[in-house]
Formats: sequence, structure tokens, C-alpha cells
Amino acid sequence: MLRELSALTRREFLKISRNPQAIFTSLLLPLLYLLLFGQGFNINPAEFLPAGTPEAVKLAVIHAYFRGAPSYYSYFAAGMVGFVSVTATLFIGANVIFDKLFGIFKRTRGTPAPSAAVFGSRLIAGSAQPVLLAFFVLGLAILFAHVPGLTGMQVTASVGVVGALEILVAVLLISLLFATIFLTFGILFEQPQTYFALVNVVNLPVLLTSDALYPWGAMPKWLQSASQYNPVSLAVNVLRETLYGASAYPYPPDIYLLGLFAWFAVLGTIAILLVRRALRPLA
Amino acid sequence: MQEQGVIHAEGLVKVYNGKVKAVDGVSFDVRPGEIFGFLGPNGAGKTTTVSMLSASLAPTQGRAVVQGLDVSVDPEGVKRRIGVIFQESTADQDLTGRENLEVAAGCYNIPAAEARRRSESLIDLMQLRDAADRLVKTYSGGMRRRLELAVGLVHQPKVLFLDEPTLGLDPQGRAGFWSFIQKLRAEQGLTVFVTTHYLDEADTMCDRIAIIDHGNIVATGSANELKDRLGGDIVTLKTTPGASDLTALITGLPGVNSVQKQDSSYRVKCQSGEPFVPLAVEACTRAGVGVTGVTVKRPSLDEVFLEFTGREYREEGEGLTATDRAVMLQRVQGRLGGRR
Repeated sequence: MLRELSALTRREFLKISRNPQAIFTSLLLPLLYLLLFGQGFNINPAEFLPAGTPEAVKLAVIHAYFRGAPSYYSYFAAGMVGFVSVTATLFIGANVIFDKLFGIFKRTRGTPAPSAAVFGSRLIAGSAQPVLLAFFVLGLAILFAHVPGLTGMQVTASVGVVGALEILVAVLLISLLFATIFLTFGILFEQPQTYFALVNVVNLPVLLTSDALYPWGAMPKWLQSASQYNPVSLAVNVLRETLYGASAYPYPPDIYLLGLFAWFAVLGTIAILLVRRALRPLA
Repeated sequence: MQEQGVIHAEGLVKVYNGKVKAVDGVSFDVRPGEIFGFLGPNGAGKTTTVSMLSASLAPTQGRAVVQGLDVSVDPEGVKRRIGVIFQESTADQDLTGRENLEVAAGCYNIPAAEARRRSESLIDLMQLRDAADRLVKTYSGGMRRRLELAVGLVHQPKVLFLDEPTLGLDPQGRAGFWSFIQKLRAEQGLTVFVTTHYLDEADTMCDRIAIIDHGNIVATGSANELKDRLGGDIVTLKTTPGASDLTALITGLPGVNSVQKQDSSYRVKCQSGEPFVPLAVEACTRAGVGVTGVTVKRPSLDEVFLEFTGREYREEGEGLTATDRAVMLQRVQGRLGGRR
């Protein structure tokens, strides 16, 4: 099993390395969001308070509005990590469909390589990209804080090793979760049109019911309630709580990680059952 | 009891979606070291049969045994023992030839060092040394086919399934491909099961041939045996349109085995064409029917095919029935990894 997994994973990474255009375009989206969207939407709710409002009240409003983050940009940049962890997995299943169309998948299926190796190799390669991209976003957002004229991410809490590990696990889990979902779609379906329609059915509602990009204070109560169970929100909560402090959150990061893991365990189990059936040796 | 072949098919049936019967009770045995040709037009059931034998598709009924393993019981064991060359190019275009071979070897659980050794050996065998480190997307059609063959051999199978392996190759590429197959058979004792659209290939390369049509095997034997079964030469007599039916008259001529009337033409199987033609022309003239054309053919596999299926061997994509199209659609879906 390990040799098959290793060979097929090598193939996936070779294919990624042979496509520098795809690497470049995957960097472009978060770059534009951080450079344009985040800068443009960097609202400060304290500015709308009556003149003479004490500074402490202003800070308290900002704190409540952005769940402990010192600015919208800082709040948004952490959300972008969750956002790219999802969007970077969108094509993982499409690659399976194209491999089916070009006969490459048939070749792999003609070998005795176990379905776990076929699935696992793509999951590893497909999750590695969003994880790297997530840390690219974090690094870039922090870097922007040091570029004159730009707003950047300001980490206001002491992160530490445990905090860094929690962020890593959150990014890994959210990437694995969506890579698993989209990879399963790619294995189950044959047409790119069907695949992308399904991806949109999952991707848009999940992102739009999360608090990844919306300012928390501007969200209606029902959306705030719904977003608490959203896996993207769970991952983003871990980041924000670790980077900006725990005071605006009812639970510690570990609880959010647990919630994220529960999502992964449930959907991962469903995916395994579906994929095992679809990739059984004798169709 | 007859000894079971390296490939043994027994009453194989495949029905798609519960209604399209692509293979309808196919039985045959392939002997060790044999090149066994599987001929048939589009939609006849060739690829479906190969898919069942190569443990990629479950038979609806019947049994297939390859190298002693039942494909329904141990499909993974069968896959370990066979090599399959598909109709289409399945090599990864974004990888080099060498990388394709090493990845394929890994899929058969071959250790990395051994995978590299075998890859090098196959690169030399298939004369791909100069192109081994080039991306496959830069390969010619013939080079891709040779790479496909190398990939199919990386785990050293004793049985090779070739599904229309020379489709789309020019005559030089086809000849080159077959010379590799012959060499492999001679050196490694490979048993080869090949489907092909090219009757000339089957005629010259295959030890035995099975003809499949509408899911049934209609004839099996060596090319010469099949031709001999036609009972001699085939003479086609073209008569003036609208003339009276001369079937009975021609059937009564010496040396005639059978007569088929097609419009105003008669397809006559006779022991020898040369003495028959003057007799036939004279008989027709005496009956008041003009003969406008005569052809005499030594039997070829085309005639064999016509004899056993009742129609000309169709060219790719021509003359498909609704059922043929349904089967082809299933095949395309299958090729997409599909299951509905």
C-alpha cells in the first residue's frame, strides 16, 4: 500500500511542479484579495461613533465588531486563510475528471493499486497546496503591515508553539475536509459541468455562511448563530483566537478544533464509503 | 476433459443497465504463448470482453479465468498477473517516459530500485532511450504506443491484453509495434490477447482468431482454417439489373458450394474460380441474362467476416445500429471511469 501511495503521490507532485502557471494563478487570488479587497473594505466602526466618544469605548466597539482583532484587515486576513484553504481545493476533483477523460485514471485503475492509495495520493497533494497557500496568506498579510501605505495584519496575542500548532492543525483539517469532499465528487462524477455545479452548491453556501470575510458585528444574529457551526468559521476562530486573544470567544481553540475534527470524521467516513464503492476492484 | 487455457472464458455475458447486452455468452480458451486475435466491428463486444477478462468489469453471467485466477473472485490477483494496453494513450502527458514507467511500477508494489532497473531495461527494449527524459506530450504516436507497451510490461506479466493497440498508427508504426510483440513473445513466452480492427494484422500476426459479432463468437480458428471453411474461391457475378433470378441455375453448376443473391449480383462460393467463371457466364447467357462483371477472390479475412456475419467488415464508425451505438456509449462512459 505504501509503495503504491508513494508512487502515485510522486506523480501528483510532479504534475503540480510541471504547471507553474497554475501555481502562479493560485497565488494571484489571495494576493488580490489582500491587496485590494482587504484594503478597500478596511472599515473602522469607531469612526461612526459620535464625536467625543471615549477611546476605551471605541476600542471596545472595534473589539466586539471584529471579535478581538484590532482592525477589519487583521480580522479579514485570518478569515482569508480559511477562505483560501477551501478555494484552493476546488480543482482537486476536476483533475480526477480530466484524468478520466484522458484515460490516465483508467491506467491506474487497471493496476492492483488499492483505492486508498489512489484516493490518498490525490488527497495528500491536493491538501498540501492549500496549506502552503494559507501560510503564504498569513505571511503576506503580516508583511503588508510593514509596507508603507498598506494596512497589514497585526498579531496582538502571544502565539507560542502551541498556538502555532493549533493554527497548523486548523489549516490542515479545513484543507483536508474540503479536499476530501471535492475529491469524492471527482471520483463519483464524470462530467466537469456536473462537478463544478456541485462544487458551487457546496463552496458558496459554506463560504457565505461563515464569518471568514463578514465583520462579525455587522452580521445579523441568525447568521452569527449559523456560522458557529460552519467548518470554515471553526477553523478561522482558531486562528483569530490564537492571533488576537480569547476574550471574544466563548470556547478555547481546542473546542473549535474538535468541532472541525468532527466535521472531518463524519464527512470523511461518508467519503470513504462512497469512494470504496466507486473504486472497487471489479466495477 | 479439455485442458483450460491461460485465458478461459465460459459463457461470459455482459448486460449494461439491465437492457443492453454487449456480450452474449462468449466462450473460448487461449493457449499458453499464443497470439489470439479477437475481431469484430464497433459495438461487437470486443472491448467489453477485454474489460471482463482484465478484471476491470464484472461479468453479468459466466466465468473468466486468467492464469488460473477467477476474475470475479480475485480481480486484484488477475491485475497483478496481466498487462493491459488500452486503445487510447493512457500515459501521463506531463510526466517523462521514465517517470511514467516508475510510477506504474510503484502501482504494482515494486521497490524503487527494482522499478528503476526495470524501467531502464524497458526503455532500451522499446528503443526510447533518447526520449526517456522528455515529457510524453512531445512523443510521436508510435513512441507513445511503445511507451504504453513498456508500461504494460513493467511488472513482467505473462499475459498481455492489447485492445486495438495500433489504432491510429501509420503502417510503419503498426509494423514496428507488432515486431516488438513478436520479439516479446519469442523471448518471454508471452500470451497475447489482441482485439484489432485491422484484418490484415489479425491474418498475419495471430495464431488463432475469434470473430465476435453482436456479442456472440461466430467463428474461431487460425486464419487459414477460417478461410478454408469458406470452401474455396469467391466469385461475384454482376448481371443486368432486373434480370430473372438465376440462383438455382448457378447452384447447379459444377464445383459450387453456395450462392447468395444480392440485388443483381451473385456471390458464389466454389471450389475453384478459374474453371467456374466460363461455365457461369455461358449458363447466364444461355438463360438470356447478360453478365456485366466478374470478380474472383481468394478468400481473405474480409470474406471470412462476411461469411460468418453476413455483411462487410465495417469501417470505424460506419453502419452502426442503435444497439451498437448504445454499447459504444456504454464503452465511452466506461472509459470515463463511469458507472451509472
